[in-house]
Amino acid sequence: MSPNSGTATAVKAEAPPETDQSRRPQDALTKEDCLEILKQLYLARYFDVRLIKEKKRGHLRGTLYSSHNQEAILVGSLYGLQPNDWVSPIHRDMPAFFLKDAKFKWDDRERMGLSIEEVCAQVWGKSGSPGRARDNWSHIGSRAKHIIHSTSMLAGTIPTATGVAYADRLNRGDAVVVTLNGEGSTAQGIFHEAINFASIHKLPVITVIENNQWAYGTPNELEYALEDFARRADGYGIPGLIADGQDVFDVYDKMMWAVDYSRAGKGPVIIECKTFRAYGHGDHDDDRAAKYRPKPEVDEGRKRDPIAVCKQALIEKGFLTPQEANQWMAEGKNAAEVSNDDFPPEVVQYLDRGIEFAVASPVPEPEEAARWVFKENG
Amino acid sequence: MSAVAAPAKKNYLTALREALDEEMGRNPDMVCEGEDIGILGGAFGVTEGLQAKYGKERVIDMPISEACIVGNAVGMALNGKTVMAEMQFIDFISCGFDQIVNMLATYYYRTAGEVNMPVVVRGPAGAYGGGALYHSQMNEAWFCNSPGLQVVCPSTPYDAKGLLKSAIRSGNPTIFFEIKELYRKREIEEVLPNEDYLVPLGKAAIRREGTDITLVSYGQNVYHCLAAAQELQGMGISAEVIDIRSLVPLDEQAIYESISKTSRVVVVNEAPMTCGFAGEIVARISQNAFKYLDAPPVRITRLDTPVPWVKPLELYVLPSLEKIVSAAVATVKY
Repeated sequence: MSPNSGTATAVKAEAPPETDQSRRPQDALTKEDCLEILKQLYLARYFDVRLIKEKKRGHLRGTLYSSHNQEAILVGSLYGLQPNDWVSPIHRDMPAFFLKDAKFKWDDRERMGLSIEEVCAQVWGKSGSPGRARDNWSHIGSRAKHIIHSTSMLAGTIPTATGVAYADRLNRGDAVVVTLNGEGSTAQGIFHEAINFASIHKLPVITVIENNQWAYGTPNELEYALEDFARRADGYGIPGLIADGQDVFDVYDKMMWAVDYSRAGKGPVIIECKTFRAYGHGDHDDDRAAKYRPKPEVDEGRKRDPIAVCKQALIEKGFLTPQEANQWMAEGKNAAEVSNDDFPPEVVQYLDRGIEFAVASPVPEPEEAARWVFKENG
Repeated sequence: MSAVAAPAKKNYLTALREALDEEMGRNPDMVCEGEDIGILGGAFGVTEGLQAKYGKERVIDMPISEACIVGNAVGMALNGKTVMAEMQFIDFISCGFDQIVNMLATYYYRTAGEVNMPVVVRGPAGAYGGGALYHSQMNEAWFCNSPGLQVVCPSTPYDAKGLLKSAIRSGNPTIFFEIKELYRKREIEEVLPNEDYLVPLGKAAIRREGTDITLVSYGQNVYHCLAAAQELQGMGISAEVIDIRSLVPLDEQAIYESISKTSRVVVVNEAPMTCGFAGEIVARISQNAFKYLDAPPVRITRLDTPVPWVKPLELYVLPSLEKIVSAAVATVKY
């Protein structure tokens, strides 16, 4: 190793913990935690189905990118993070904005996540949005809350994550940065550039790949040539884990392993979460998706609803009786089939509050469109 | 012989290095990153000595990943840093284009002012050195066409230092075009002030006063214009030479004021003609200063070709003293 070398050394990636069932992070979760996790799954699902209904009633503009069937990845990735950790969601991860640092304190405006009011104001295109509705749908974020602002450039925000992590290291911080991405984005050149850079400097960047098997209208086999996408990590000398994207506790286990690894200064991790996209790419694509994806494939991909999988795990853990598990029955239902009675009332009320705020929030003045191109007030 | 040595003149490259050194010194939250900028000190030596002085963490040798260089700068700026990101040649900036125009340029806008981007992307630019297609470009117009970016191009050592410092402190993303043919040009060396100074963005400089025609330019074409003005003087034509120094923001008033006096204008840039910045200047003159004009405004630009390698070919496509003089004479005679 040359004296001029940076932090990089030739490494063999540490073995992933798939086989180690004796010390699963999920086993340290309390009953209270586990029930909160289930409730967050309901919350993410309800957000999705409610917006689909609101749009069908003509209340919303823009495209909806459903996270239906992928909620376990969001909840499992975020639940164990520290408030100061950063997250970088993309378009299908809208609930991530309000799930960050939400544990037991959804309504706390001071927590390190966006409030449901801010997120709804963004969806409704109102000035109460943190970005004052200048860019659409999921394209919000917050420096103050450590949420990297989403764009349409997909893997284009991964180098933002490396930069955030690098700056945090300069500041002697200990945050990890979790980026959420679809597997489709991993074919972009910037994915390689950013992961390569993170590997060289052992930056605490955890890249979660939500492998929902379809990049818009293109299937996995036309996106990459690996059996498991996670093996892409081998080329960078970093761990590549595989999680069951339908099982919130498996996602949680892999994420907590990655967090410990990254926070200890060992470097970046890729976690491939295997899942399936419930609807079309966006709601504009639902009808066509029904043609390019055969029904048996869709039925197979959706048969393990993350809410049902979570309930079963809670029953096995002894935290839920089968009777309690049947109290709310949102799983397996499309937006059109589900009603408010299928969700815990506090979930419905939470979103009601957000929508009420959004509807009352004014539309920005047209003149605002010309502001904030360059820094104002020096 | 004087007891005190005369202050040393400094070249354009040294001026840039001093700007970076001084800004790194005054701002502990500033970081430099680029290919070969640390161990090597940069392909041209602009960053020489910075890594030894400020450490490997703050002067980062990046892999050949222009998009990541820009993207990483965006992330560092989001987390409170001021960043200088070097492109080894400005020609390679196209590899980072998406990160510049979609991520960096828009950050302040799309966050409604929450997050500004104190990031300067700088690099050696320009032709006339036999660099051929991929080491000769002036692609400034791409960035002038992307709202949210400042675009700067100094022509003197004094301006190189003062403008770079202004760009770094502005808090806005800036694409900073350095003219590599001027880096070590002896004829333009000058004594720089010892004390800290800034050259404001958006303020043109009148390089030579005149009354018959205005020559507007930036970068190394300023020197072609000055040489042309000298030759025109021998023909009885008094030419004023304006160096705009920054394209975005643009000092339009300085141009209009000059034209109100001369009534004639030739705009020179070494980028290709179609959708080039000379065209933008001419369009603004036509719209806002038409009443002063006694002749149509003229552009002298590169032909709409890439920049070829071999000297006669290269010069054939680029603006030259002869082309400027001939256009100026025709405009005065119009």
